[in-house]
Amino acid sequence: MIREWDSERYLEPQTDQDISEGLNRLERDAGRVGHVVFSLLVAVLFLLPLIWMLGASVRKVGLPPPNQLEWIPNPIELSNYARIFELLPLGSYTLNSLKVVLVAVPLTIITASWAGFAMSQIAPRPRTWLIVASLVALMVPVTALWLTRFLIYKWIGVLDSLWALILPSFMGTSPLFVLLFYWTFSRIPGELYESARLDGAGALRIWGQIAMPLSRASIVAVGVLAFVFFWSNFIDPVLYLNQQQNYTLPMGLQSLQQMQPTNFPLLIAGAVVITVPVIIMFMFAQRFFLQETRGAGWLGR
Amino acid sequence: MSLPAERQAGKTGSVLSRLPQISYKRQLAIMLAPYVLGLLGLVLLPALLSIPFAFTDYNALRAPEWIGLRNFSEMLGDWLFWNGLGASMFYIVLAIPLRVLGAVFLAFLLHKPTVSNKINRVIAYLPTLIPDVAYALLWLYIFNPLYGPLNWILRLLGAEPESWLLEPWPAKFAIVIMMLWPIGEGFVLMLAAFHQVPHELNEAGQVDGASGRQRFLHITLPLLAPAILLLLFRDTVLSFQANFVPGLITTLGGPYHATRFLPIYIWQNAAEYQRFGYAAAMTWVMYGITASIIALQFVVIRRWRSLFYD
Repeated sequence: MIREWDSERYLEPQTDQDISEGLNRLERDAGRVGHVVFSLLVAVLFLLPLIWMLGASVRKVGLPPPNQLEWIPNPIELSNYARIFELLPLGSYTLNSLKVVLVAVPLTIITASWAGFAMSQIAPRPRTWLIVASLVALMVPVTALWLTRFLIYKWIGVLDSLWALILPSFMGTSPLFVLLFYWTFSRIPGELYESARLDGAGALRIWGQIAMPLSRASIVAVGVLAFVFFWSNFIDPVLYLNQQQNYTLPMGLQSLQQMQPTNFPLLIAGAVVITVPVIIMFMFAQRFFLQETRGAGWLGR
Repeated sequence: MSLPAERQAGKTGSVLSRLPQISYKRQLAIMLAPYVLGLLGLVLLPALLSIPFAFTDYNALRAPEWIGLRNFSEMLGDWLFWNGLGASMFYIVLAIPLRVLGAVFLAFLLHKPTVSNKINRVIAYLPTLIPDVAYALLWLYIFNPLYGPLNWILRLLGAEPESWLLEPWPAKFAIVIMMLWPIGEGFVLMLAAFHQVPHELNEAGQVDGASGRQRFLHITLPLLAPAILLLLFRDTVLSFQANFVPGLITTLGGPYHATRFLPIYIWQNAAEYQRFGYAAAMTWVMYGITASIIALQFVVIRRWRSLFYD
């Protein structure tokens, strides 16, 4: 009965209300079509730089400019990738980058999660102070730190060594990471900690056996963000490293540009080499990062 | 009752609990120590220390010499300072709203957990992953008038090709354009914010007959205000470094100083001319300006939000 009444209503609009409801339906349908179109557009738009990147990296060196929009170069010259390793000791730069990442990323996860865990456990007043200090630190522009950090690094003798790049990981790399862990740990029910403490567990054990295993998404998120930070870090090596033997990949890429300023196939091949590890890392982690249906786990509730 | 239990666990527990007994508070303090020391030693103190440097003439070779406000008066007459400030402001005014809008749009488009949305989320994040130097080189190629694909796209669309990085205004726009892709972090933040919007409110709106667009504009968007504000703050503060590498590598500060953003000019003063005092003075002027921009954003967003609540 109700159904019949309904269908009649939608077939022939009689009142203003009918018309507005019909319009709503129309808007919903248009919205769905719009969603498909926009989604495709977004996918193409955001893939474009990467497609061009791959294409440019295999274009034959010395070929004249294309006379139309070129997607896949002809011939495909994979030897560009071998060539940049001949031009520069990219192997040793890669090794340096790996050394930095292998030390700095685990260290970041440990120190940031320690600090976040302690922050979730201490009294409210010092906790508030720490949160405020962390937010203030996040607002400090890096330019304000260049000079004084340089002097501090010189004073403690880490200048011109990979330790100058690794050092921030001793403090969890970024206050943002510490805050992330703090938010994650403070969502874990306090009773879990309390009962462990009654069983005689110390802070380290509660951190390692209760807090960390329940915070996988945050660990992965901080790990990936820290990896991207240390792997891509360009300003710090420029500031603190002098000897070529200590160069990391971003520095190597800049040297390549200084050697061959307009040799795009080689430059872009270098860009691909430095980008691929980040993308591989991200593919493993994206589930924790982008796909948490109950609310992007690592940022909010 | 708890004491014997604690002692027993201490005897039978793992290696960690057999360590010399220190109070729980102390253990927490130890875990906190690296962060607090680093926060003070690597961020807050260095930042504070750079304030007195602003009042000195210092080139790292001899001791800093106190010169009062002379660095600041020099700035007033230094056209390269004003040029850098102008370039930075151009970037902040144009790029930051576009980047934030882009992040909100992406989150709005992709917040439902369908398969295609999940794939698109990864795709939208990809440009953000490209390391700064590689990204700057990539756009050096894309903007190239002879080899780059961008001008071919413009021709296809019937527009005039540009010489992008060779002329001041196109170069300024070029830096803004290339920074519209790496917005993944803002996108993730907005995605999280979207998931926090209570379903009940939207459902109530639906019952009251509000259309999708109305619900978005009057329910969802105002609830996103705090996240949008956070994103604006972050992007404004990060604008000190966001366009630094592109300005250094893609355009080399040129042409005719058009993309010599203030951080790049500061960098040159510190690293090339060894004028650390002057660089510190400019840094703090820049910081003052940024703080005022952030305050302005705060007021505007609060006003806009209070149209719907309070």
